[in-house]
Order: sequence, then structure tokens, then C-alpha cells
Amino acid sequence: MITIDYRDRKPIYLQIIDNVETLAAKGILPADSQLPTVRNLAVELAINPNTIQRAYGELEKRGIIYTIPGRGSFIAKTPQELMDKKIHLFYEELKNKIQDARSMNIPLEDILARCREYFDLGPIKEGETI
Amino acid sequence: MIEAQNITKYFDTIKAIDQMSVQIQSGSVFGLVGTNGAGKSTFLRILSGILKPDCGQVLVDGQTIYENMGVKSRFFFISDDQYFFSNSTPKEMRNYYTKIYPKFDKVRFDHILKSFDLKADRKINTFSKGMKKQLAIICALAAKTDYIFCDETFDGLDPVMRQAVKSLFAAEIAERGLTPIIASHNLRELEDICDHVGLLHKGGVLLSRQLDDMKLGVHKIQAVFPVPYNKEDFTGMEIVTLEHRGSLHTFVVRGEKDLITTKIQEKNPIFLEVLPLTLEEIFISETEVVGYDIKKLIV
Repeated sequence: MITIDYRDRKPIYLQIIDNVETLAAKGILPADSQLPTVRNLAVELAINPNTIQRAYGELEKRGIIYTIPGRGSFIAKTPQELMDKKIHLFYEELKNKIQDARSMNIPLEDILARCREYFDLGPIKEGETI
Repeated sequence: MIEAQNITKYFDTIKAIDQMSVQIQSGSVFGLVGTNGAGKSTFLRILSGILKPDCGQVLVDGQTIYENMGVKSRFFFISDDQYFFSNSTPKEMRNYYTKIYPKFDKVRFDHILKSFDLKADRKINTFSKGMKKQLAIICALAAKTDYIFCDETFDGLDPVMRQAVKSLFAAEIAERGLTPIIASHNLRELEDICDHVGLLHKGGVLLSRQLDDMKLGVHKIQAVFPVPYNKEDFTGMEIVTLEHRGSLHTFVVRGEKDLITTKIQEKNPIFLEVLPLTLEEIFISETEVVGYDIKKLIV
């Protein structure tokens, strides 16, 4: 379920963090569900276990997962709190995009028209990425 | 831990290693990258006790290596051209290594050999280049040593095999804290598996750091300004390189992303993009600073 994009410039441990956060926010990984062990995920993704350890450590620090020694790591936070965070990040990104559009002299009406058009497309279908 | 203290190695008048010092922590995966002729292979050969440094010393967990049998059974060296006894088979190599490495795991050897679809009784000299590489890796993994030194080991393996080998390494790292030291030119690949990288140039270490810190500590910035700027126009920013292409400025800057963004925004860019560097780009920009410049090579 957790994947990494080898062409992404982001460090792998940050990709894992984002991945787990997204999966938790969407409810795909509900609260108290177990994450793969460090060893299994390292073998599956063919990457360094220390990288995964670092990602899990950071997720724990952020309060998104909790670890029971000898049993593994589990999703902690309720998805709502994560969702709020995601929405906040989305608006930050949107702000940047709109500033980009402004520097290209795209009129606001055109942007709004496109927004409506895309909104009416409905939810993302399976196989498409966010 | 492996510690090289001020080692120097001459081949006649050629200085292959120049007062190199580096520390490799146990449990990390150390990537050794460098320009051609930087001394990567020489360094690995010193680490494995094949060569003796002219000055300085290398310690594996506090002990010197050269002509020290006890320490040598704690690591396995997969050299660039692997050596197998003439006319031998994988089975014979297995029996040989069992005598050398006290923890050699025959069952594991047979198991991996079988899953890699190599025949235990076939003569090794009839193996392809890639199959010989595979066999050397299997020997290394079955030897259950604390360290494995890999010299360009992933080259010559097909993509499926590379993933398989990386997975096998990952399992050994997680289960028993194996410390691989991997010299390679394939920086893309080192990015997946290494957490620490040492960059060699002309026999010395240019930098040795955690890969993630390295990636987050250097950024590539593309920006368009209404008027052209030079390096000197930006104060309080550590610019490694700055290139102009028309009004597009491409920077490589050391430091935190937020800090850099704020600094650049003071100059009112029309367009601004801040990206972390790939290991390949770090390699190019760091070696360019010390005069290893692609533009000099292609003109």
C-alpha cells in the first residue's frame, strides 16, 4: 500500500511520511490499524530499513502513529485532525498556484470557470492519482 | 565501526589516496561515490586488507586489518572482478568459504542459489558475467559477516535482480545490523539503499554526510527576475553555483528551503521554484566547485 516514486526529488523518508498521512487521512488506514513492520516494508520496497525507521520515528513524533514494543506500529490520530492539516496544505498550494497564474496574467474569471468545470467532474476515479 | 585515519597510498609516483579520513558507523549503509580514479576501489582494497596504506591506518572495530586474520573473517569483499578458483563450481566455492567464515550458512547459500536459479554443480567459468556477480553476492550474504564491501556490485545485474539483491540486503540490515559499504556510479540506485554517502575526489573525501540531510541541505532554485543578478547581489546565502540562461537564473544554494525562499523573494522574482537536489546533482555541483567541470571536459 505504501509506495515510493523513485523519480521524486523528495527524500524517501518524507515520501513514506506523506504516504502514511494520506492513507490515514483518507481512512484507508483506520485508527489502530497496523503498519507493516520495518523489516517487511524494507524488503518489499527494496530500500534501507534505517530510512523506514526514520520515517516511523518522525510519524510517531507527529502523533500519527504509536508503537507498542514487540508488536509493531499502529495508526493513532483520528483522520479528522489529519484531514484538517491536509486541507490547510491544499490551500497553501492553491495560493501558490494562483499566484503563478497571476504572474502569467490569467484572468480570475477564467480560473474560476476552470475550477467549476473540474469540480463538476466528480470524485477521482480509481487508478488516477491525486 | 570502520575508521580510516589519514591514510595515504601511492602506486609508484601516483597518489591514489591522499590523507583520507572517514568514519563509517555500524548499522548504516554507506555509499561511496566519486569521480573516475578518485580512489574508491583502492580504498575498498585497503579496507579489506589487500593493500597496505603507506601512511595512516584503517581500523575495523578498533583493530588494524592488514595481515590480521581474525578481523578479515568479519567482512566480505565483492570486488569488481570476482575471483573464483579455476574449474570450480558454486558448491566447491561454498565449501571453501565455509572454512574461511565461521558463521557461513550453507542452508541459506543453497536456498538463495536455488531461488536465483543457479546450478550448484555447473562450472563457474561457463557462467555469464551477471551470474558470476550473483554468485559472489550469494557467497557474501551466506557468509553472515558484519560488513560487506561492494565494488560496483549492482552493475551487470538486470533490473529484477537488482531489486531482489537490494531486498536481500534490506532484510540482513533489519535483522542483524549488516553494514554494507557500496561503491557505485549509479547514484540513482544509491539513493534508495544508502543512508550515508561519502563523496571522493582525487584521493580525498569531499564530503561525508547523511543522505537525507545532504538532500535537504542543498537546493536547486530556478528563478526569473526582471533584471539580471550576480552572485554578489545575494548576501547571507551560500551559493554554490549560479548560471544564467537568458533571464532564467539557476542556483545551487546550501541551506534551509524557507530561508532561501525568503531571501530570493526579496528580489521580486517573476517566477520561482525551489527543488531538493538529486544525489546526481549534488555530485555534479560539489565536484564542479573543486574544478571537475563538465564544461571543461566537453569543449
